[in-house]
Amino acid sequence: MTGAKEHTGDYAHLAPLFGELAALPESDPKRAELRETLVTEHLPLAQHIAARFGNRGEPRDDLTQVATVGLINAVDRFDPERGSDFLSFAVPTIMGEVRRHFRDTSWSVRVPRRLKELHLSVSAASAELSQRLGRAPKPSEIAEHLGMTKEQVYEGLEASAAYHSVSLDEVRGGADDEVTPLRDRIGEEDPALEGVEYHESLEPLVRELPERERHILALRFFRNMTQTQIAERIGISQMHVSRLLSRTLERLRRRLQDEQNP
Amino acid sequence: MGDPESTLTEEAELVDQVELRLGAQLEHLSVVRAVAAHIAMGADFDIDAIADLKLAVDEVCTDLIVRAVPGSAMDCVFRLSPDRIEACVRVTSHNDDLPKRDSFGWTVLTTLTDSVSTRLESVDGHYVIQVDIAKNRTATT
Repeated sequence: MTGAKEHTGDYAHLAPLFGELAALPESDPKRAELRETLVTEHLPLAQHIAARFGNRGEPRDDLTQVATVGLINAVDRFDPERGSDFLSFAVPTIMGEVRRHFRDTSWSVRVPRRLKELHLSVSAASAELSQRLGRAPKPSEIAEHLGMTKEQVYEGLEASAAYHSVSLDEVRGGADDEVTPLRDRIGEEDPALEGVEYHESLEPLVRELPERERHILALRFFRNMTQTQIAERIGISQMHVSRLLSRTLERLRRRLQDEQNP
Repeated sequence: MGDPESTLTEEAELVDQVELRLGAQLEHLSVVRAVAAHIAMGADFDIDAIADLKLAVDEVCTDLIVRAVPGSAMDCVFRLSPDRIEACVRVTSHNDDLPKRDSFGWTVLTTLTDSVSTRLESVDGHYVIQVDIAKNRTATT
């Protein structure tokens, strides 16, 4: 992480802004402005981390985009009261985001570049539209937004089926020695699962799930949040939530069946 | 078509309906899932509803395939009306036990859909188990 440290000095002047941001009430319009400044000014950090992960078969633009999402998450979650400085919080957060991108979104089959790009644009448009509309968009709305036909949108939505389904437990080589910030955020006791009455056979199986899957499962089936709401809460795309849920349910079903017919 | 014993619906009723008959095999799940997704996309349901219907169909079919007589068929009927999509899935089973309402699978189905019901019929020493689900179009005001 020496690369990131070289830049520490460049960001020092931004540190007081976090205190200002934290001091502002939720409703203050200045919050958005400050948040944007913090994100924009820290962008080189995200780009720097994206560059480190370059040349691994993922287009640089995607990586920069993913790293920027990580940066935004870091800005939103950073608590200056905790005493640590922003960079030591942000770097692992951004790296975690990029690493998850590699783990979760590598394509299992050779998917044409056009289809990948279609999938990414549909995914990005969905996120933007849900934000704007305050609800999940319809394919027709995505089509209109992107200036595409509905058929192209279908194709983009369906392309996610070609994504690699690797378990998040599987650790790929590379930068895996860093902390996964998600682990810290969610921890062993998932707040979304508090007060949930478990079916007896289910509890041990849910406990075996990776944190993020467990959290998503809890939010969808015990907290009754929509996939779009979950996507926003966790900071990943709705399509990604969809994939993870589908995989988790399949895994639980399989395990429940194994228990019933040993 | 051409089969006098066919239990498929009369053509006149097929206008907004898609029927699938496939072997009750887990390998065919992706076909049913894709059909469900395409019907929901074609009806311009929002992306959450599309994903929910897909997951629900997956859940119903997996559950029924496991109960089905080996080598038998699974029938799926999708009905489209302006505000909802109904899916009815049916298999033949040796047993008369229906999906349990206190199971996690049931929780999944009731969360993902707007209505779930089960039916059991005894036919020639076998049982026909049917699960009906319906997903409403999300109100967009």
